Formats: sequence, structure tokens, C-alpha cells
Amino acid sequence: MIQIKNLSKVFRTEEVETKALSEVSLTINQGDFVSIMGSSGSGKSTLLNIVGLLDSASGGSYELLNQEMIGLKEKQKSKARKENIGFIFQNFNLIDELSVYDNIELPLIYNNVPSSERKQKVETIAEKLNISHRLKHYPQQLSGGQQQRVAVARALINDPKIILADEPTGNLDSKNGNEVMELLTDLHANGATIMMVTHSDYDASFSQRTINMKDGAVISEKVNQRNVDVFKV
Amino acid sequence: MIKNWTTIFIYHIKNNKLFTALNILGLSIGIAGLIFAILYWNDEQSYNDWNPGKDTVFQVLVDIGEERVWTNAPVTFEPLLKDDANIEKMMYCENWYESPLYKYNGKKIIIEKLFNSQNNFFDFFPFEFVKGNPKTALQNENSIAMKEETAALFFGTENPIGKQIQYEDQFLTVTAVYKITQNSSIAPDAVVNNMKPRIDRDKTSWGNFNNGWYIKLKDPSKAGEISKKLTSIYYQNKTIKDAKAEGITPKEFESKYGKFNFFLEPLSISRLHTQGQGSPEGKGNYQFLLIMSGLSILILVLSIVNYINLATANAIRRAKEVGVRKIVGASKTEIIKQFLFETVITVLSSILLALAIVELSLPYYNEFLDKTLIIYGNQFYLQIILIFIITVIFAGVFPAIYVSNFETLKVLKGNFGRNKSGVWLRNGMLILQFSIASFFIIGSYIVYEQVHYLSTKSLGFSGSQVLEIFYFKPEAVFKAKNPEQLIFDRYTTIKNELSKIKGVQQVTTGAFRFGGGNDSSSGFSYKGNNIQGQNLAVDFGMLEMMKIEMAQGRYLNPKIASDTINSMMVNEAALKIMNEKNPIGKIVDWNDHKLKIIGVVKDFSLFSPQGKVPPMVFFHFKTVDWMIGNINHIYVKLEAENTEQTIGAIEKFWTAKVDSDYPFHYDFIDKSYMRTYKTYVKQKNLFSLLNVIVIMIALFGLFALASYSIERRMKEIAIRKTLGAETNALLKELSKQYIIFSLIGFLIALFPVYYLLNRWLENFANRIDISIYPFIIGFAALLSLTLLVVLSKAYQATRVDVLKYLKYE
Repeated sequence: MIQIKNLSKVFRTEEVETKALSEVSLTINQGDFVSIMGSSGSGKSTLLNIVGLLDSASGGSYELLNQEMIGLKEKQKSKARKENIGFIFQNFNLIDELSVYDNIELPLIYNNVPSSERKQKVETIAEKLNISHRLKHYPQQLSGGQQQRVAVARALINDPKIILADEPTGNLDSKNGNEVMELLTDLHANGATIMMVTHSDYDASFSQRTINMKDGAVISEKVNQRNVDVFKV
Repeated sequence: MIKNWTTIFIYHIKNNKLFTALNILGLSIGIAGLIFAILYWNDEQSYNDWNPGKDTVFQVLVDIGEERVWTNAPVTFEPLLKDDANIEKMMYCENWYESPLYKYNGKKIIIEKLFNSQNNFFDFFPFEFVKGNPKTALQNENSIAMKEETAALFFGTENPIGKQIQYEDQFLTVTAVYKITQNSSIAPDAVVNNMKPRIDRDKTSWGNFNNGWYIKLKDPSKAGEISKKLTSIYYQNKTIKDAKAEGITPKEFESKYGKFNFFLEPLSISRLHTQGQGSPEGKGNYQFLLIMSGLSILILVLSIVNYINLATANAIRRAKEVGVRKIVGASKTEIIKQFLFETVITVLSSILLALAIVELSLPYYNEFLDKTLIIYGNQFYLQIILIFIITVIFAGVFPAIYVSNFETLKVLKGNFGRNKSGVWLRNGMLILQFSIASFFIIGSYIVYEQVHYLSTKSLGFSGSQVLEIFYFKPEAVFKAKNPEQLIFDRYTTIKNELSKIKGVQQVTTGAFRFGGGNDSSSGFSYKGNNIQGQNLAVDFGMLEMMKIEMAQGRYLNPKIASDTINSMMVNEAALKIMNEKNPIGKIVDWNDHKLKIIGVVKDFSLFSPQGKVPPMVFFHFKTVDWMIGNINHIYVKLEAENTEQTIGAIEKFWTAKVDSDYPFHYDFIDKSYMRTYKTYVKQKNLFSLLNVIVIMIALFGLFALASYSIERRMKEIAIRKTLGAETNALLKELSKQYIIFSLIGFLIALFPVYYLLNRWLENFANRIDISIYPFIIGFAALLSLTLLVVLSKAYQATRVDVLKYLKYE
């Protein structure tokens, strides 16, 4: 599904040139659940942002569904993004001015889904994520865990080909964090492709593969055993 | 503390150079507008303010019905008022300036504003005397009192007292020099006392309204009683007697010839609120003054609103500073003080800049108003201080309190940039700005339409290539045995000579001026209808030359002998009142003449394009020969080619043969007529200028506010973009609210603009109806300007790096 070859990203300021990514190569297949770990500045978020088409690379190749993404115009990027990618952020990134319902509905609007269909889809996914009773509320009125579930609902509403999660539990307590991780695991079990950036070994253990990054390069990659259910709180 | 405040303030100025500059500029334009209005206001309100008699000196005016008020009165009342204890003094005067030519030591000087009055003039207008004695200054008819500047013109640095100047064959001795330092409704360059012959002539004629009449009362509160008394005396001595002579009841007499109501108007209101035609210095245009003041206040409100909007929006950026200050111990009051301090400095700089703007543009403004205003006077400085205080209160207090109410904890935790408090207020103010802008756009379009209508309206005559030449008649002529004959013969000679000049097509005259009217009006009765007609005596060819058309009948014809004996024409307006279906050949009893109607002249706008056409009566000069004395201009039609040479030749002839003393003074009728609606052209220009200013301020406000508001929504924009929103969708999202605001603002402006502009249009007898176009155009203009500003700003926003906002907020 995702083919990354020799991907580089260089940040230039007037004085310094920083290599955020150097020659990273990576393959993610349909149905994979991949964690990316590394300390601050290792380049993991940059990688995720490039995969999410929020950032552009300085060199190399990135194929999403066999289509080259490097060098695409803003409009085409936007199209690829809204059709294929769902985002989950550490700080949820919900629009405070919109209700839960409106937040979840947003990607459907941008994908020109007719309104009757939208309503049905939002209600279905809200039920699935157990936030139906919160649809009329505003993000500020919800707990962190609920907010992240809304964000997940929004990420999923469009049936994206891949879900990108940037430290999805970073702003949550362990209980809510666990719930979100379980949610992702369930999604994965149902066939979703997930790429997740995290600081937490614990979170990473939910995934199939963990990729370790340092100074902009992949330094190790390991396959996780699914033996974590025992510690479920 | 002040130092700390100053440091922060300067930091913000440095970091927001553009906004600070625009903010100060916006505010100073608003203040400058108000200063202009204040200067004008002070000047107009100051008329007669210096005069100790402003509340005790009254002018006698006569209401003759149909909204017509005469400023002249008969001089027959005096013996009947002798015993009235309330009347302290009375004064007759000529009520208008003359501009005679005087000679002194070989110099020829025209005194532009010579006032002829009885000898107690200076009791009514006690100007400061530099030389001489006010009591004796105008003792006899050979005395002349001069204004300082006039005396300097004649005598330079010499002592003017006792010097003699010559007017035709008469010598006048200078008895006094006075100075005029403040606005006065009569402000002559010189005063003479030559009233005796005028008063003697009319001493027993109750029907001759020829002189101005001022009365000084001991108890001004009883002016109403005097008014009643004058009206009653007139009724007893004129109405009853004349009715008796005609064999009808006084009531019938009044319904036939009109009812005369005398009333007293104090000097204090004679400039701005007079019901008459105004004093020699003219009357103030109170409506224009109100418009000016209203609009400038509106602009100041606009710029203050702008300031508040920017200040509160900007304050959010400074929330952290406020939070930190509070934590280290600042109280609410201290925060308020700090922000007020900043407003005080901003407003001070704005006022200084405004004063500079006013000082620089004052000459243009003076030209615009025909005034000589200067920035001066205690009253003015007090007003400036008042403006300062008001602006600081309105512009400063609100944002300061708003800022001081920030909740410390929320602010320090961050996420305050998206704080929604104050949004409603800002949006409300934005809507207010939109309404003010709509008001101006629509209003100035309507004003433009009306003025355009006036300037292109068919006037009923054509003044193209027609010259009016001022024709001076020396006083000696009037003292001769048969002045009319002399004047007409002289005119005929001039006419014959002028006609010989190459390029002159036709020469003729009439006792009236296009755009100036005529000096004579007579009432006559026809079929029981009272017609107060304007008397328009003409020479042959006058109407034809001006392309004034006939509705019925024929023009006056030199080949028909009776046309100089008993023929008359009326205009359509007169005919309508006469209620006569077949006027041609009918006889009219006009001032003891039996005149036969030979034609009906189509109505034309003699006075001004905005006014109603009054009833008019036409006849040849020889038919009513006393009208000859009213010939003041000679009209000359020129060929279209070599106009300048022709005028040159006329001038040469004129100064050599006609008048070597008075300067050759001429004007094209087209041009002089245009002055009759000059005020409205000026109002149009003013409105257009203010329109530009208002739109500029409003757009700048919109720009700034949109910037802040979009900045506040950057995270939302980033999220939407991440979710796949395309640029178009984002632009729509971002500009939606401004379109709604501009629509609301527009709707709010609708009624006031319709109502007020309708009121303004009531000034005009010939007016446009307010159509839908100004509104459509106004809205289209408002909307497109709004979109231009918002979309450019929003487009910029959609181009930014989304990561910055997803990560760090």
C-alpha cells in the first residue's frame, strides 16, 4: 500500500541545514499496523506528515496505492488525502466551534457525500464508537477520551485506506489511552491499515511492527507478539 | 511604571507598524473631519455673537403668505410707534450693499460693500472705533465711516479723518474709522447716511416696501406684542382703507391681494435661522451645516469603532502579557490604566496629525465653503480637548476593561487565541461599519443622481454663447428729468455700436438675470385670482435669443406698434393661476395699465434649476417704462468662432466709449447660471470625498478585523485542510460570515438613507425619485469590496503550512 524509497527531508534556516529524514525506505502493506518510535527529533513525525501529505519531501519516492505522491500539486494532494487518509492527532484537532456531529460529518462534506447518506454514516459510526449521546455536544464539553473517540470517528467516517495516528494517547490518561488503543486494535482486526507514531512502548506493543528511528533514519524494526491483552486494565 | 508601559507600547508599535499607522491615520482622518465641521460650525454660530444687542435688536420681516417673506418694510409706521415704551430705537437702512466707485487723489477705488443707513447705525452694530465718535460719525449725508482696511486703501498710513473722497459729483468726508474683528450679519467696508431721500419719498406710501427696518427693544421678551401691533397698524392703515376704496370688505381684499403679517426676528438667529432672505452678508445654510456635522460625526464614530475593534482583537494577542502582569501583582485598575495610557498616546498623536491635515487642507476647504476659516480661538481649543476626552473614553475605556477581565489562568494555559469573548461585539461593530459605508455609498449615489439631473435638466432656455455685461448707471442719470428716456437711449446707442463688432450676433436686454432673478414683482388680479407675478420687462428679441419658446401666441414684434404700448405675455405658471382657457387677446388690469395678452411663454427656470417656476409677466420696456431703471445687464450673443477676440473687441469698445471708470465685467450665462446650484454641486463633491474616506476607513477596518479573525481560525483552517478541504471550499467558509455581515449592515442602512435623502431631495422642486439603482449599485459595491478584502486575506490563509497550526496549538 505504501512504498517509501530513500525519502529525505531537509530543513533549512539561514544558518543551519538539518536533515529531518535521510534516505528512509519503508513498506507498509494492506492491513498492517505499524508503530514508529523514537526520541524527539528522530524524524518520526516528519515521516508521518509526509505520508499524510501534510508535508513535502526533499527527495526520494513515496508511492501511495501505487501512485507517486512526491511532486503532486496541492489540489491533487488534497484529493488523495481526503479519499485515502484518516488522521488522529495527539491533541485531537477538533473544531471547537462545531458540534460533535458536525465535526464527524466534515470529511463527508469535502468528499461530496449527499446529506442523507452523511447523516446515516455519522450515526452509524457514532454508535460504533459509543458517542451517539454526545453528537449535539461541543468538543469542549467532552472528556479527553471522548474527544479522541470523536477524532477517531472523524478519521474513519470516510472509510480511509490508511489511518495515521500521531501519538493518539499522548493527551489522555491511561484508562482513556487504553480505550483508544483497543479501538485501534479492533479496527486493525477488522482489516484497517494503521500507521502510528508513539513515545510509548506500551502503545507500540499493540501494533504488529515497531520501527525505531533516530536522527532521521530507521535504525531497527521488530515484529511484536500479541501478548498484551493480559494487562488490560 | 510609565517607563515600563512605554517600552511595551513601543514594542507593539514596532511589531505592528502597518496596523498602528493605519489605526492612527484612520482616527486622525475621523478627527480631522470633525475639526473641519467644528471650524465651520463655530464660524456660522459666531455671527453677531459679539454684538451686545444680539437679543434686543430685531429686524422687521413681513410674511406675505405662500412661504414668502420680505426683508423690506414701509417707512410709514414711525409716527404711530412714538409712544411705545418698549421701543428704544429704530433704524432704516438700504438692507443691501452697493459697490460704488470713489475717487481720491487720482485713485479710483470701488468700495465693494457700502452700506447706506440712518445715523444711528452704530447703536445697532457697535463696531470698535479706531478713530472718531460713533455718535457723530454719520451726522449728515456727506459723512462716511470706513473700516480700517478700506481707509488704508484710500489713505495708506495718513490720518483719514477729515479727508474727502469723491463719488460722482458729491464729496464725502471721512468721520470715523472702525474695525470688524468678528462675524456680523452686516459687515460693511464703509457706511454712509443717505437715507433721507429714500425715506422722504416713501413717507406716506404704505404699499412701498423698500427699506430694511431694525428695532431695538427694551424688553425683547415682548417682541411678539410689537409684531402684533405692526400687523394691526398695517391692517388699519392699508388694508381697511384700500378695501374701502375698492368697495370690498377687508377680508375680500386680503384674499385677493394677500395678507401681510409683520414679525420681529432677533439678530441672534438672523444668520442660520432667518425666515427672510438673509442679511447683506448672506444667510447661513443650516441644513448644509447639519449635514456636514452629521457626516463628520459619523466618520468619527466609524474610526472609533475601527479603533475599538482593532484594540480588542489585538488585545487577545497580548493576553499572555496581561496574565503575567496579573500574576506578578497588577490589579484590574492598573491594567485598565495601562491600556488607557496607550489610547491616550494614540489619540494624542491622531489629534496632532489631524491638526496637521486640517492646517494643510484648510485653503481648499475655505475655497470650498467661500470662507476664511483659521484654526484659532479658545472655544476651538476647548472643543479639541473635548474631542480628545470623548475619543479616549469611547475608544479606550472599553478595550481596557475588556483586557483587564481576561482570566489569568486561561490565558497562561494558552489556547486563549481562540477565545471567543468579544467576538459578538466586534462583529456588531463590523456590521455598524458596513451600515455606515452603505449609507455613504448609496447616499452619495443619490446625491450624484440629483445633481446630475439638475445639470442636465432642460432649463427652458439656452445660454450658450450668450454674454451678460454689467451695465452701470450713474446716479446722475436718476436725478435727471427723464431718467428712463436717458437710460434707454444710452442702451440703444450701445446696442447699435456693439452690433457692429465682428462676431456679435445679437444684442438685447431684459430687466432680469438668469440665475439671479429679477428685482420686481407685482400682484394683479384676474377673474378673482390673485397672481403675484415676476415682472420681466424685455427688449425685442430677448426671448428668441435665449431660445425661450412660446406655448401659445407670438413673441413681441418691433413691427407691431401696440407691442410697445399695451401688449403683454404671461408664462404657463401664471396662466395656470389665472385659470383662463383662451388667454390670447384677453385684457389684464395690471398696475393701472390695461394690457392685452399676445402670447403664453413656456415655463423656464430663471432663478435656479431646483426651484419652482413662479408666475411671470412679460412686456416691452416701453410699455412699462419705469422698468427701464432695472436694466442692469446687456446680453450679447456671440458667434462660436473667435469668441475671445470678439470679447476683446467688446471690452475695448466698452472701456473707451461706455464706461471708463468701472471695470468691464462680463460672464457667460451658462457659467453664471451654474452658480445657482453651486451649493449642491459642492454637496455632491463633499459627499463623494467623504465617501472615499469612509470606504477607506471601513475597508481598512474590515481588512484588519478579517486578518485577526482569520488568524484566530488558522487552526480550524488547518484541520479542514487536513480533512481534505480544497481552497474554494475554505474561501467560501471564511468569507461566508462577512457576506452575511455586509448584508445585515446594508439592510440597517436602508431606512435611514432612504428617509434622510428624501428629506434632502425635498429641497428641490425639480427632483428625482429615489429608484432602486442606488441600492443595487451600493450593495454590489459594498459586497465586491468586502469580498476583495476578505478573499485576498483568506486566500493567503489557505496557503499556509498546516503543520504549524496542528502541532503547536
